[in-house]
Amino acid sequence: MKRRTFVQLLAASPLVSPLIEAGAEDIPKYRVASRYKPAATPGMPGPYPGRVIAVKSAKCLDAKDERADPAVVREMLERGMRELTREASTIDAWRRFIRADDVVGIKVNAGGRPNVVSAPEIVAEVVRNLMAVGVKPAQIYVYERFQGQLDEVNYAPHLPQGVTIIGAERGNRAIDNRNYDPLTYVEADFFGEDDTRSNMMRLISEKFTKVINIPNMKDHGATGVTGCLKNIAYGSFSNVARTHYNGVSHTLSFVGTLAAVEPLRSRTVLQIMDGLRGVWHGGPFARTKKYVFYPKRILFGTDPVAIDRLLLDIIEEERKAHGAISVWERSVKYLKADDTRARDADPNVNIIIREPGHIEYAAKLGLGVDDLKKIQVQEIEV
Amino acid sequence: MRLVMALSTAFVLCASAPLRLRVEIGPGNVAQETRLPLLYWVQGIETAPALKQAGIEQIAAPPNKLDEWRKAGLNVIALSQQDLAQRVKLLVPRVAGRADVASATRRPWIDSNGWRFMRAPTGKFYYDLSERGTGKATLAIAEAWAYQADAILKIDPADLAAAGKMLAFLRALPHTNLPLIADIGLIDDGSAATGEVMNLLTRRNLMFRVVAAPAPQLKINIKLGSKEYPQSEASDPNAFALKVRRQLGDENRSLRIYGTEVVISRLTGDGTRLRLHLLNYSGRDVDSLRVRTRGKYARAELKAFGIEQAGPEDFVVEDGATEFTIPKLGVYALIELPAVN
Repeated sequence: MKRRTFVQLLAASPLVSPLIEAGAEDIPKYRVASRYKPAATPGMPGPYPGRVIAVKSAKCLDAKDERADPAVVREMLERGMRELTREASTIDAWRRFIRADDVVGIKVNAGGRPNVVSAPEIVAEVVRNLMAVGVKPAQIYVYERFQGQLDEVNYAPHLPQGVTIIGAERGNRAIDNRNYDPLTYVEADFFGEDDTRSNMMRLISEKFTKVINIPNMKDHGATGVTGCLKNIAYGSFSNVARTHYNGVSHTLSFVGTLAAVEPLRSRTVLQIMDGLRGVWHGGPFARTKKYVFYPKRILFGTDPVAIDRLLLDIIEEERKAHGAISVWERSVKYLKADDTRARDADPNVNIIIREPGHIEYAAKLGLGVDDLKKIQVQEIEV
Repeated sequence: MRLVMALSTAFVLCASAPLRLRVEIGPGNVAQETRLPLLYWVQGIETAPALKQAGIEQIAAPPNKLDEWRKAGLNVIALSQQDLAQRVKLLVPRVAGRADVASATRRPWIDSNGWRFMRAPTGKFYYDLSERGTGKATLAIAEAWAYQADAILKIDPADLAAAGKMLAFLRALPHTNLPLIADIGLIDDGSAATGEVMNLLTRRNLMFRVVAAPAPQLKINIKLGSKEYPQSEASDPNAFALKVRRQLGDENRSLRIYGTEVVISRLTGDGTRLRLHLLNYSGRDVDSLRVRTRGKYARAELKAFGIEQAGPEDFVVEDGATEFTIPKLGVYALIELPAVN
């Protein structure tokens, strides 16, 4: 079955899982190049597959200016980490993942600036805990693909001197590849593009010994939602925007494929999903507050699939509350290919046929648990 | 290989022909001489010091000014406006904004002249960069050089120093022509449709050469209007090039470029070595361009215009292919790779 036929068929049954309908010929042929072997227990799904700690707090954001309350955020992180690891002390919880000699990359999400990014208060608290374990500031890197986005968010005032804030490229112009590893990549021809490789950031393959992922709770025009998997995958490799074009997206299989590449898979040891704020439509960006909502929670785990599966329902629920079409909607009648203005104006417009099935696909790659019956969620109120 | 003349004595003056350097007896149908493009200079004699300062020793100029230029100490070739008009006018090489044209792809639109040179290897060409081509003289010179085209350039005087640097850079490169390496044979019927197919093959770095009849040693042979390549398919040259690429298979291509879509390459070689020309049409440096070529080659020698760098990085030979990274590419670079037995 060809992709176009597939899209048309699903128009009549929008909630059918794409993996049920998609034939093997819909999955592009991938060639993965990596010199790195997996760890004995790869970071994803890590020691806690299917386990998610959800820490909620009505007090985490100031009612007036929506600023995060650092003290509440600190408590949320402490409770979440202790509960995840079942350790009595916070420092012991962090020691489950990090050693003093680790070089740690913190993968933030700055793409939703100015309104929904990895909260500086959460990032600062993660850094504080790393330092408590003994990691020196010079061994800590806050990273994203695009330096321009990081500069807009401006994490520096929230972080100790010596922590590096670094993007692989200035902007999304595909002319600056020096910070990508030429020997670690996934090769695939999606739409006949000339450059068929997506390379892993050198920092990940050559410098970091551990990675902590801090995604947001966001809708995404191509993937349905962007959570742990999309943030760590598309945020760690070059030349990824090529996967969606003219209403069609190959994110279904590419997100998980990238996340599974070593050493990224083994070194990404912790997922902390920032749900203080979220975006229910128009993502991954959040240029206006029109589609911003406030889940006021943080999710903890080592299993990116399990967390993202929960995220899918959170975004879907919020969209439903606003009368918007489902993230699973595949009908072409809602499709205005690449028309971002129409998408931003109307939550019932898709610019690409979304692929929320990327989470299920990642589960099939062994990155985690997507079956809700097997996901154990523990909720904590702060 | 026989070098007949040393570089310093190699200036051969030919009426209305570009500067030729180092004469060599080459194999088969390979041109025996390399040639540099020539500046067509219509400025006054008072600009002679500026030309000399830019390292320009030879120009083409209107016939009525020959004596003046010779007295000023320059080698000069007479070229009238009529002579110039008889040459094929070329595009300003660049990445062009095409806001008025619906594009089938998101790729940058490159104005390249490579296919014109391929269609007419003995043709005479000229670039008019005097008004809308400011800043493009170095790329035009490198483009003409890479394809060994007989080209004259009319440049913006503001680009004189840069043009002089590029010409000096090219003079210092090996002046031996090597046979073109191709995966695809193309029978050129001279039509506009076939020309556009050649243009797209060039822009997609699909290595082809023009053949009179299908060449069995090439992986693919294209004849527009044949059963396999109907004329109707040429109406979408981008799709046509993609069809050819998929028929060939990326893994079978003699050359792949990664990390950019604004660099066009030309590949030559003679079994003992490979020579790769890289032309960057973007107007900006490209960082960390990755090159993959089929075959086993020893560590490459890199000469990049305007950029001091040690050489190719992350050099890998495996699976019957050689890969390396060019740390920074300005307008043009030449890479020589000796073959490994």
